[in-house]
Amino acid sequence: MHISEGVLSAPVLISGGVLALAGTAVGLKKIDYEHIAQVGVLSSAFFVASLVHVNVGPSSVHLILNGLVGLILGWTAFPAILVALILQAVFFQFGGITTLGVNTVVMAFPAVVCYYAFSAVRHKNNTIAMAAAFLCGFTAVFLSALIMGVSLVFTEENFWEVSWLIVIAHLPLMIIEGIITLFSLMFLKKVHPAMLEK
Amino acid sequence: MKHLTKIKTFKITQHGEIILFLICLLSMLFTLPSPALAHKVSVFAWVEGDTVHTQSKFFGGKKLNDARVNVFDAAGNLLLEGRTDAGGEFSFTAPERAEMKIVVSAGMGHQADWTVRATDFADLPEVSSSIDANASQPSTPFPIVQTGSSPTHNPAFPADSKEIQIIFEKALDKKLTPVIKMLLEAREQPPGMRDILGGIGYIVGLVGLAAYFSSRKKKDALKQ
Repeated sequence: MHISEGVLSAPVLISGGVLALAGTAVGLKKIDYEHIAQVGVLSSAFFVASLVHVNVGPSSVHLILNGLVGLILGWTAFPAILVALILQAVFFQFGGITTLGVNTVVMAFPAVVCYYAFSAVRHKNNTIAMAAAFLCGFTAVFLSALIMGVSLVFTEENFWEVSWLIVIAHLPLMIIEGIITLFSLMFLKKVHPAMLEK
Repeated sequence: MKHLTKIKTFKITQHGEIILFLICLLSMLFTLPSPALAHKVSVFAWVEGDTVHTQSKFFGGKKLNDARVNVFDAAGNLLLEGRTDAGGEFSFTAPERAEMKIVVSAGMGHQADWTVRATDFADLPEVSSSIDANASQPSTPFPIVQTGSSPTHNPAFPADSKEIQIIFEKALDKKLTPVIKMLLEAREQPPGMRDILGGIGYIVGLVGLAAYFSSRKKKDALKQ
Protein backbone atom coordinates (compact mmCIF):
# COMPACT_ATOMS: atom_id res chain seq x y z
CA MET A 1 0.00 0.00 0.00
CA HIS A 2 3.00 2.25 0.13
CA ILE A 3 3.30 4.17 -3.10
CA SER A 4 6.86 4.24 -4.38
CA GLU A 5 8.91 7.23 -5.47
CA GLY A 6 8.48 8.46 -8.99
CA VAL A 7 4.96 7.20 -9.57
CA LEU A 8 2.87 10.20 -8.63
CA SER A 9 2.80 13.61 -10.23
CA ALA A 10 4.02 16.70 -8.35
CA PRO A 11 0.58 18.24 -7.66
CA VAL A 12 -0.59 15.01 -6.06
CA LEU A 13 2.56 14.79 -3.94
CA ILE A 14 2.26 18.40 -2.82
CA SER A 15 -1.42 18.19 -1.93
CA GLY A 16 -0.74 14.96 -0.10
CA GLY A 17 2.02 16.69 1.84
CA VAL A 18 -0.19 19.64 2.76
CA LEU A 19 -3.05 17.41 3.90
CA ALA A 20 -0.69 15.25 5.93
CA LEU A 21 0.80 18.32 7.61
CA ALA A 22 -2.65 19.63 8.46
CA GLY A 23 -3.71 16.29 9.88
CA THR A 24 -0.49 15.99 11.87
CA ALA A 25 -0.92 19.48 13.30
CA VAL A 26 -4.40 18.61 14.52
CA GLY A 27 -3.12 15.32 15.85
CA LEU A 28 -0.28 16.92 17.76
CA LYS A 29 -2.62 19.46 19.31
CA LYS A 30 -4.93 16.73 20.51
CA ILE A 31 -2.17 14.49 21.78
CA ASP A 32 -2.80 13.15 25.24
CA TYR A 33 0.49 13.42 27.09
CA GLU A 34 -0.87 11.34 29.93
CA HIS A 35 -1.06 8.39 27.60
CA ILE A 36 1.84 9.17 25.34
CA ALA A 37 3.21 5.63 25.71
CA GLN A 38 0.04 4.32 24.04
CA VAL A 39 0.83 6.45 21.00
CA GLY A 40 4.34 5.02 20.86
CA VAL A 41 3.18 1.44 21.20
CA LEU A 42 0.56 1.79 18.47
CA SER A 43 3.01 3.55 16.21
CA SER A 44 5.42 0.64 16.72
CA ALA A 45 2.67 -1.87 15.98
CA PHE A 46 1.91 -0.04 12.73
CA PHE A 47 5.62 0.10 11.93
CA VAL A 48 6.05 -3.63 12.31
CA ALA A 49 2.70 -4.56 10.77
CA SER A 50 3.80 -3.94 7.21
CA LEU A 51 6.30 -6.77 7.52
CA VAL A 52 3.43 -9.19 8.01
CA HIS A 53 2.15 -9.85 4.53
CA VAL A 54 -0.72 -11.70 2.97
CA ASN A 55 -0.14 -13.37 -0.39
CA VAL A 56 -2.97 -12.70 -2.76
CA GLY A 57 -2.57 -14.36 -6.14
CA PRO A 58 -0.23 -12.31 -8.32
CA SER A 59 0.57 -9.60 -5.82
CA SER A 60 1.07 -9.35 -2.12
CA VAL A 61 -0.39 -7.00 0.47
CA HIS A 62 0.67 -6.33 4.03
CA LEU A 63 -1.08 -5.63 7.30
CA ILE A 64 -1.88 -1.99 7.92
CA LEU A 65 -3.70 -1.88 11.28
CA ASN A 66 -4.86 1.68 10.70
CA GLY A 67 -8.36 0.81 11.95
CA LEU A 68 -7.01 -0.18 15.33
CA VAL A 69 -4.65 2.78 15.50
CA GLY A 70 -7.39 5.22 14.58
CA LEU A 71 -9.92 3.87 16.99
CA ILE A 72 -7.60 4.18 19.98
CA LEU A 73 -5.72 7.34 19.04
CA GLY A 74 -8.19 9.40 17.03
CA TRP A 75 -6.50 12.38 15.36
CA THR A 76 -3.20 11.45 16.98
CA ALA A 77 -3.13 8.63 14.43
CA PHE A 78 -1.70 11.18 11.98
CA PRO A 79 1.60 11.87 13.77
CA ALA A 80 1.84 8.25 14.89
CA ILE A 81 1.47 6.95 11.36
CA LEU A 82 3.67 9.67 9.88
CA VAL A 83 6.52 8.77 12.22
CA ALA A 84 6.10 5.06 11.50
CA LEU A 85 6.09 5.73 7.74
CA ILE A 86 9.26 7.81 7.96
CA LEU A 87 10.96 4.97 9.84
CA GLN A 88 9.68 2.42 7.34
CA ALA A 89 11.06 4.49 4.49
CA VAL A 90 14.43 4.79 6.19
CA PHE A 91 14.81 1.29 7.60
CA PHE A 92 12.84 -0.88 5.19
CA GLN A 93 12.86 1.29 2.08
CA PHE A 94 9.10 0.95 1.88
CA GLY A 95 7.47 3.82 0.11
CA GLY A 96 9.51 6.97 -0.38
CA ILE A 97 10.35 10.34 1.07
CA THR A 98 8.47 12.47 -1.43
CA THR A 99 5.46 10.19 -1.13
CA LEU A 100 5.37 10.45 2.67
CA GLY A 101 2.55 12.99 2.59
CA VAL A 102 0.35 10.94 0.29
CA ASN A 103 1.07 7.68 2.08
CA THR A 104 0.25 9.30 5.41
CA VAL A 105 -3.09 10.57 4.11
CA VAL A 106 -3.84 7.15 2.58
CA MET A 107 -3.38 5.41 5.92
CA ALA A 108 -4.16 7.98 8.59
CA PHE A 109 -7.24 9.62 7.15
CA PRO A 110 -9.31 6.40 7.20
CA ALA A 111 -8.03 5.87 10.73
CA VAL A 112 -9.59 9.15 11.87
CA VAL A 113 -12.80 8.46 9.95
CA CYS A 114 -13.14 5.10 11.67
CA TYR A 115 -12.51 6.76 15.01
CA TYR A 116 -15.62 8.84 14.56
CA ALA A 117 -17.68 6.25 12.74
CA PHE A 118 -17.20 3.26 15.00
CA SER A 119 -17.42 4.63 18.51
CA ALA A 120 -20.09 1.95 18.91
CA VAL A 121 -17.18 -0.25 19.92
CA ARG A 122 -17.56 1.15 23.39
CA HIS A 123 -21.15 -0.01 23.52
CA LYS A 124 -22.04 -2.29 26.40
CA ASN A 125 -23.68 -4.88 24.16
CA ASN A 126 -20.93 -7.22 23.08
CA THR A 127 -22.45 -8.14 19.74
CA ILE A 128 -22.72 -4.53 18.67
CA ALA A 129 -19.20 -3.88 19.90
CA MET A 130 -17.81 -6.86 18.01
CA ALA A 131 -19.59 -5.87 14.81
CA ALA A 132 -18.28 -2.33 15.13
CA ALA A 133 -14.75 -3.58 15.74
CA PHE A 134 -14.80 -5.82 12.68
CA LEU A 135 -16.26 -3.08 10.50
CA CYS A 136 -13.69 -0.63 11.81
CA GLY A 137 -10.79 -2.79 10.65
CA PHE A 138 -12.52 -3.62 7.40
CA THR A 139 -13.55 -0.09 6.47
CA ALA A 140 -10.19 1.44 7.31
CA VAL A 141 -8.45 -0.72 4.72
CA PHE A 142 -11.26 -0.15 2.24
CA LEU A 143 -10.98 3.63 2.55
CA SER A 144 -7.21 3.42 2.27
CA ALA A 145 -7.57 1.49 -0.98
CA LEU A 146 -9.97 4.14 -2.30
CA ILE A 147 -7.70 7.05 -1.43
CA MET A 148 -4.82 5.18 -3.03
CA GLY A 149 -6.90 4.88 -6.19
CA VAL A 150 -7.63 8.60 -6.12
CA SER A 151 -3.96 9.47 -5.85
CA LEU A 152 -3.03 7.06 -8.64
CA VAL A 153 -5.73 8.32 -10.99
CA PHE A 154 -3.44 10.98 -12.36
CA THR A 155 -0.88 8.42 -13.45
CA GLU A 156 -3.04 5.49 -14.48
CA GLU A 157 -5.71 5.89 -17.11
CA ASN A 158 -8.93 4.75 -15.58
CA PHE A 159 -9.83 5.62 -11.98
CA TRP A 160 -12.60 3.06 -11.64
CA GLU A 161 -10.52 0.27 -13.06
CA VAL A 162 -7.50 1.05 -10.91
CA SER A 163 -9.49 1.56 -7.72
CA TRP A 164 -11.48 -1.57 -8.36
CA LEU A 165 -8.28 -3.60 -8.79
CA ILE A 166 -6.78 -2.19 -5.61
CA VAL A 167 -9.95 -2.85 -3.62
CA ILE A 168 -10.20 -6.42 -4.90
CA ALA A 169 -6.53 -7.04 -4.15
CA HIS A 170 -7.03 -5.85 -0.58
CA LEU A 171 -10.30 -7.66 0.07
CA PRO A 172 -8.66 -10.59 1.92
CA LEU A 173 -6.68 -8.07 3.90
CA MET A 174 -9.85 -6.18 4.84
CA ILE A 175 -11.32 -9.35 6.26
CA ILE A 176 -8.14 -10.27 8.10
CA GLU A 177 -7.77 -6.80 9.55
CA GLY A 178 -11.41 -6.82 10.56
CA ILE A 179 -10.78 -10.01 12.51
CA ILE A 180 -7.57 -8.73 14.07
CA THR A 181 -9.24 -5.48 15.11
CA LEU A 182 -12.15 -7.46 16.48
CA PHE A 183 -9.98 -9.62 18.71
CA SER A 184 -7.74 -6.75 19.81
CA LEU A 185 -10.61 -4.50 20.77
CA MET A 186 -12.51 -7.25 22.55
CA PHE A 187 -9.39 -8.09 24.49
CA LEU A 188 -8.84 -4.43 25.39
CA LYS A 189 -12.45 -3.98 26.36
CA LYS A 190 -12.25 -6.83 28.82
CA VAL A 191 -8.84 -6.11 30.23
CA HIS A 192 -8.28 -2.39 30.01
CA PRO A 193 -11.41 -0.55 28.91
CA ALA A 194 -9.94 2.76 29.98
CA MET A 195 -7.80 2.66 26.88
CA LEU A 196 -10.88 2.96 24.70
CA GLU A 197 -12.31 5.92 26.53
CA LYS A 198 -12.00 9.04 24.43
CA MET B 1 -15.94 -8.83 46.79
CA LYS B 2 -14.86 -11.66 44.53
CA HIS B 3 -15.27 -9.52 41.43
CA LEU B 4 -12.96 -6.84 42.88
CA THR B 5 -10.12 -9.33 43.27
CA LYS B 6 -10.66 -10.36 39.67
CA ILE B 7 -10.03 -6.80 38.51
CA LYS B 8 -6.91 -6.56 40.64
CA THR B 9 -5.30 -9.63 39.10
CA PHE B 10 -5.83 -8.21 35.61
CA LYS B 11 -4.00 -5.00 36.36
CA ILE B 12 -0.64 -5.47 34.62
CA THR B 13 0.98 -2.26 33.53
CA GLN B 14 -1.09 0.37 31.83
CA HIS B 15 0.07 -0.75 28.44
CA GLY B 16 0.91 -4.39 29.05
CA GLU B 17 -1.87 -5.50 26.79
CA ILE B 18 -0.72 -3.62 23.76
CA ILE B 19 2.84 -4.73 24.39
CA LEU B 20 1.52 -8.28 24.43
CA PHE B 21 -0.21 -7.61 21.16
CA LEU B 22 3.00 -6.24 19.71
CA ILE B 23 4.87 -9.35 20.80
CA CYS B 24 2.21 -11.51 19.14
CA LEU B 25 2.61 -9.49 15.97
CA LEU B 26 6.37 -9.89 16.00
CA SER B 27 6.10 -13.62 16.58
CA MET B 28 3.76 -13.86 13.62
CA LEU B 29 6.70 -12.66 11.54
CA PHE B 30 8.72 -15.69 12.42
CA THR B 31 5.97 -18.24 12.13
CA LEU B 32 4.58 -17.24 8.76
CA PRO B 33 5.65 -19.90 6.26
CA SER B 34 6.85 -17.76 3.40
CA PRO B 35 8.43 -14.52 4.53
CA ALA B 36 8.49 -13.11 1.03
CA LEU B 37 8.50 -9.45 2.01
CA ALA B 38 6.70 -8.48 -1.14
CA HIS B 39 6.15 -4.86 -0.56
CA LYS B 40 8.72 -3.32 -2.65
CA VAL B 41 9.68 -4.20 -6.17
CA SER B 42 13.24 -4.25 -7.36
CA VAL B 43 14.91 -4.53 -10.71
CA PHE B 44 18.47 -5.08 -11.74
CA ALA B 45 20.05 -5.34 -15.13
CA TRP B 46 23.24 -6.68 -16.64
CA VAL B 47 24.79 -6.54 -20.05
CA GLU B 48 25.84 -9.42 -22.30
CA GLY B 49 27.39 -8.14 -25.48
CA ASP B 50 24.77 -5.83 -26.90
CA THR B 51 21.85 -7.36 -25.04
CA VAL B 52 20.60 -5.92 -21.78
CA HIS B 53 18.94 -8.44 -19.50
CA THR B 54 16.68 -7.31 -16.70
CA GLN B 55 15.36 -9.24 -13.75
CA SER B 56 12.48 -7.87 -11.70
CA LYS B 57 10.94 -9.20 -8.57
CA PHE B 58 9.16 -8.40 -5.39
CA PHE B 59 11.54 -7.72 -2.54
CA GLY B 60 12.08 -11.11 -0.97
CA GLY B 61 12.10 -13.28 -4.07
CA LYS B 62 8.75 -13.56 -5.79
CA LYS B 63 9.22 -12.97 -9.53
CA LEU B 64 7.40 -10.07 -11.10
CA ASN B 65 5.24 -11.41 -13.86
CA ASP B 66 3.86 -9.28 -16.70
CA ALA B 67 5.05 -5.95 -15.34
CA ARG B 68 5.56 -2.96 -17.60
CA VAL B 69 9.17 -2.11 -18.37
CA ASN B 70 10.12 1.27 -19.83
CA VAL B 71 13.63 2.10 -20.94
CA PHE B 72 14.67 5.75 -21.08
CA ASP B 73 17.88 7.28 -22.34
CA ALA B 74 20.00 9.69 -20.31
CA ALA B 75 17.87 12.63 -21.48
CA GLY B 76 14.64 10.98 -20.35
CA ASN B 77 13.30 10.02 -23.77
CA LEU B 78 11.48 6.71 -23.96
CA LEU B 79 13.60 4.31 -25.98
CA LEU B 80 11.48 1.20 -25.80
CA GLU B 81 9.05 -0.65 -23.61
CA GLY B 82 8.01 -4.19 -22.94
CA ARG B 83 6.71 -6.57 -20.31
CA THR B 84 8.43 -9.04 -18.04
CA ASP B 85 7.83 -12.73 -18.54
CA ALA B 86 6.76 -15.27 -15.94
CA GLY B 87 10.32 -15.42 -14.63
CA GLY B 88 10.41 -11.67 -14.14
CA GLU B 89 12.89 -11.28 -16.96
CA PHE B 90 12.90 -8.93 -19.89
CA SER B 91 15.74 -8.58 -22.37
CA PHE B 92 16.32 -6.19 -25.20
CA THR B 93 19.05 -5.22 -27.63
CA ALA B 94 20.53 -1.94 -26.57
CA PRO B 95 19.82 0.70 -29.22
CA GLU B 96 23.08 2.36 -28.31
CA ARG B 97 25.89 1.74 -25.86
CA ALA B 98 25.00 4.62 -23.64
CA GLU B 99 23.57 5.19 -20.24
CA MET B 100 19.92 4.21 -19.92
CA LYS B 101 17.36 3.99 -17.17
CA ILE B 102 15.16 0.95 -16.83
CA VAL B 103 11.89 1.51 -14.97
CA VAL B 104 9.64 -1.34 -13.91
CA SER B 105 6.05 -0.70 -12.82
CA ALA B 106 4.05 -3.39 -11.11
CA GLY B 107 0.83 -1.45 -10.71
CA MET B 108 -0.69 -0.21 -7.44
CA GLY B 109 2.05 2.37 -7.17
CA HIS B 110 4.95 -0.09 -7.03
CA GLN B 111 7.87 1.00 -9.11
CA ALA B 112 11.61 0.49 -9.24
CA ASP B 113 14.40 1.57 -11.52
CA TRP B 114 17.95 0.65 -12.47
CA THR B 115 20.47 2.69 -14.39
CA VAL B 116 22.70 0.92 -16.90
CA ARG B 117 25.92 2.87 -17.31
CA ALA B 118 27.76 3.30 -20.57
CA THR B 119 30.77 1.59 -18.97
CA ASP B 120 28.73 -1.57 -18.42
CA PHE B 121 28.99 -2.24 -22.13
CA ALA B 122 32.27 -3.88 -23.06
CA ASP B 123 34.42 -1.80 -25.37
CA LEU B 124 33.89 -4.01 -28.39
CA PRO B 125 34.62 -3.16 -31.99
CA GLU B 126 31.73 -3.80 -34.34
CA VAL B 127 32.93 -7.09 -35.81
CA SER B 128 30.47 -9.94 -35.67
CA SER B 129 30.24 -11.75 -38.99
CA SER B 130 33.71 -13.29 -38.84
CA ILE B 131 32.95 -14.73 -35.43
CA ASP B 132 29.85 -16.49 -36.67
CA ALA B 133 31.88 -18.03 -39.46
CA ASN B 134 34.37 -19.33 -36.92
CA ALA B 135 31.68 -20.75 -34.74
CA SER B 136 30.28 -22.82 -37.54
CA GLN B 137 33.58 -24.63 -38.05
CA PRO B 138 34.44 -26.18 -34.70
CA SER B 139 36.36 -29.10 -36.12
CA THR B 140 38.92 -27.08 -38.11
CA PRO B 141 42.28 -27.38 -36.38
CA PHE B 142 44.41 -24.35 -35.63
CA PRO B 143 47.15 -23.95 -38.20
CA ILE B 144 50.36 -23.04 -36.45
CA VAL B 145 51.93 -21.16 -39.25
CA GLN B 146 49.99 -18.84 -41.43
CA THR B 147 51.75 -17.40 -44.43
CA GLY B 148 50.59 -15.35 -47.32
CA SER B 149 46.87 -14.91 -46.67
CA SER B 150 45.40 -11.96 -44.84
CA PRO B 151 44.16 -12.98 -41.33
CA THR B 152 40.71 -11.42 -41.64
CA HIS B 153 39.86 -13.52 -44.67
CA ASN B 154 40.75 -16.87 -43.13
CA PRO B 155 37.75 -18.15 -41.17
CA ALA B 156 39.65 -20.96 -39.46
CA PHE B 157 42.19 -18.88 -37.63
CA PRO B 158 41.11 -15.68 -35.90
CA ALA B 159 44.48 -14.07 -35.93
CA ASP B 160 42.96 -10.64 -35.81
CA SER B 161 43.27 -9.40 -32.24
CA LYS B 162 39.89 -7.72 -32.38
CA GLU B 163 38.19 -11.02 -33.02
CA ILE B 164 40.08 -12.64 -30.18
CA GLN B 165 38.90 -9.87 -27.95
CA ILE B 166 35.30 -10.42 -28.96
CA ILE B 167 35.48 -14.16 -28.35
CA PHE B 168 37.12 -13.47 -25.02
CA GLU B 169 34.48 -10.95 -23.98
CA LYS B 170 31.68 -13.30 -24.95
CA ALA B 171 33.16 -16.13 -22.93
CA LEU B 172 33.65 -13.83 -19.97
CA ASP B 173 30.07 -12.60 -20.23
CA LYS B 174 28.81 -16.15 -20.16
CA LYS B 175 30.82 -17.00 -17.07
CA LEU B 176 30.22 -13.78 -15.24
CA THR B 177 26.48 -13.42 -15.73
CA PRO B 178 25.49 -15.91 -13.03
CA VAL B 179 28.05 -14.38 -10.68
CA ILE B 180 26.73 -10.87 -11.27
CA LYS B 181 23.22 -12.12 -10.69
CA MET B 182 24.28 -13.67 -7.40
CA LEU B 183 25.97 -10.48 -6.28
CA LEU B 184 23.00 -8.30 -7.14
CA GLU B 185 20.66 -10.61 -5.30
CA ALA B 186 22.95 -10.66 -2.30
CA ARG B 187 22.89 -6.87 -2.14
CA GLU B 188 19.24 -6.85 -1.24
CA GLN B 189 18.78 -7.36 2.43
CA PRO B 190 15.22 -7.93 3.56
CA PRO B 191 14.36 -5.94 6.67
CA GLY B 192 15.95 -7.70 9.60
CA MET B 193 15.73 -7.62 13.35
CA ARG B 194 18.21 -4.78 13.36
CA ASP B 195 15.96 -2.56 11.29
CA ILE B 196 12.90 -3.39 13.36
CA LEU B 197 14.67 -2.66 16.63
CA GLY B 198 16.14 0.50 15.17
CA GLY B 199 12.75 1.81 14.17
CA ILE B 200 11.10 0.91 17.44
CA GLY B 201 14.03 2.50 19.25
CA TYR B 202 13.37 5.81 17.55
CA ILE B 203 9.69 5.63 18.46
CA VAL B 204 10.55 4.93 22.08
CA GLY B 205 12.98 7.84 22.03
CA LEU B 206 10.35 10.22 20.65
CA VAL B 207 7.84 9.08 23.24
CA GLY B 208 10.44 9.64 25.95
CA LEU B 209 11.21 13.14 24.69
CA ALA B 210 7.54 14.01 24.51
CA ALA B 211 6.96 12.74 28.03
CA TYR B 212 9.97 14.65 29.33
CA PHE B 213 8.90 17.94 27.84
CA SER B 214 5.32 17.50 28.94
CA SER B 215 6.40 16.81 32.51
CA ARG B 216 8.61 19.89 32.48
CA LYS B 217 5.69 21.96 31.30
CA LYS B 218 3.64 20.59 34.14
CA LYS B 219 6.38 21.34 36.67
CA ASP B 220 6.67 24.91 35.45
CA ALA B 221 2.92 25.28 35.60
CA LEU B 222 2.92 23.99 39.18
CA LYS B 223 5.69 26.38 40.24
CA GLN B 224 3.64 29.39 39.28
